[in-house]
Amino acid sequence: MKRVLFSFALLATMATAGEQFAMSDADRAMYKEMLENNPADIFVEEGGELFEELGDEKALAKFLGVKEKDLPKYIAGFPRYVKKLKNVVGLDQVLQAMQVEQKKKKYKLKSGKMFAMLAYVKSLANDEVVNIDINADKHIKASYNLGKKVFMTPRGGRGLSCNSCHSSDIVGQVLRTQPLPDLGKVGSGATWPAYRMTKSSLRTLQRRFQGCMKNALLKVLPIGSKEMVGLEVYVTNLAKKEKKKIAIPGLKR
Amino acid sequence: MKMSIRRFTQFLAVALTTSVTLYATDLSKAYDMPDATKILKQDKLAKPTKFKMPKSCNLDDLEAIARGKYIFHNLNGKKAKAKPPKGLVKFITKNGKKKPKQFGNCVACHNIEGAKGAGNIGPDLTNYKKLFIDTKARDAKFVYQKIADARIDNPKTHMTINLTTKLFNKSEICDLTAYVISDKSKKK
Ligand code: HEC
Ligand code: HEC
Repeated sequence: MKRVLFSFALLATMATAGEQFAMSDADRAMYKEMLENNPADIFVEEGGELFEELGDEKALAKFLGVKEKDLPKYIAGFPRYVKKLKNVVGLDQVLQAMQVEQKKKKYKLKSGKMFAMLAYVKSLANDEVVNIDINADKHIKASYNLGKKVFMTPRGGRGLSCNSCHSSDIVGQVLRTQPLPDLGKVGSGATWPAYRMTKSSLRTLQRRFQGCMKNALLKVLPIGSKEMVGLEVYVTNLAKKEKKKIAIPGLKR
Repeated sequence: MKMSIRRFTQFLAVALTTSVTLYATDLSKAYDMPDATKILKQDKLAKPTKFKMPKSCNLDDLEAIARGKYIFHNLNGKKAKAKPPKGLVKFITKNGKKKPKQFGNCVACHNIEGAKGAGNIGPDLTNYKKLFIDTKARDAKFVYQKIADARIDNPKTHMTINLTTKLFNKSEICDLTAYVISDKSKKK
């Protein structure tokens, strides 16, 4: 059942996202095929197996101090302040802490295994509306403000900021054949980790940020840094404002 | 009797603290949170800077216009297909490493004569000479400053900053200026 619902959600996002893609008819056909059969599904499944080794939802709920039945809603509110970890963190960092607590080797944040496990864990919240609360406590407030600052600050070889290309007065315009996406309306915070067709792999939201940084000649920030988590908070809050539902794995150009 | 109760509480306290420390291992350092502040500092954009167009800027030089055209239409040396004109190279060495030279990729945002897959974030620069230079709405100095650091004219610009960031040198900004204001109506 879950599966069916989730495909609907994915289709819905794709239908609205349709116009944002500059692609050929052949690409479009492949895209349609992938809609029915997202290549990232196998990565997510693999992530599920890795997560099982950590004790599944039960262990995660216990680690986070929430009831198992409330876990999906709780996941839909990440990144959030986790007292035990004394920071605003992403789900990947929670998983690392669980690995350490269980005396297992922790996966690197940028590793394929972590991407897969993160995708699986976030998919547990599929169909939940993004519910990040940037006013929940002073920590998340600070993280949001840092993220906003990083988003707005021009830097790098061309003096660009994220906002240079994703501000509301410019989205929809075309950058070299690619319409600039409104990060709230396309629900970036709800649709990553996603399969990226142009990279033929599963990518996370912070990995996607790195792609834009690289392309626009901004120095690439490391995944998991306060600044990257802040950016994720900022971008996820845009998806919340649009009442986006989580649909993992997403499918992107 | 009194004594043994006290001893028992002591034992209990010790037992509790050990079990608490055992249970709550400090996890605040268990995950990665790399520091990015240094990277951001190094990457900071300098304040809006005014530039004077150098006297050496030869705006009618066909070689300069050709270089400006190449910089305008290409992203970097790795992506550029055509052979670069005299005075430009595809690859440079930086800290002993071979790197593709970054170009302007101005067509990402601007349409202009002969553009392939141009964007529309910036104004269309087609017919620029006739529409803006000949009518005196703009002059070469304005265009030079716009390309060098667009913030002087428009503090909230979405345009790239090209000289303040040292992505290009003055002579390359001259080349771009020469190209933008050149007459492209007839084949030269
Ligand atoms: C020079 C322009 C430019 C800059 C600067 C830029 N982006 Fe992008 N961004 C784009 C374009 C174009 C796309 C869509 C590309 C595509 O369709 O594959 C995009 C896509 C994205 C997406 C994926 C949207 C989706 O489908 O969910 C995210 C997230 C994103 N950008 C975040 C950022 C962040 C964060 C920054 C700053 C660190 C940034 N961008 C800087 C142009 C830019
Ligand atoms: C990321 C988008 C972007 C890129 C890349 C870009 N521009 Fe612009 N450009 C703009 C925008 C937006 C404006 C209008 C706002 C302003 O004037 O600042 C503009 C304005 C201009 C103007 C002024 C036109 C007029 O008369 O008002 C010139 C000339 C120009 N750009 C040249 C260039 C050149 C040359 C390059 C490449 C080195 C370039 N641009 C790259 C976005 C861009």
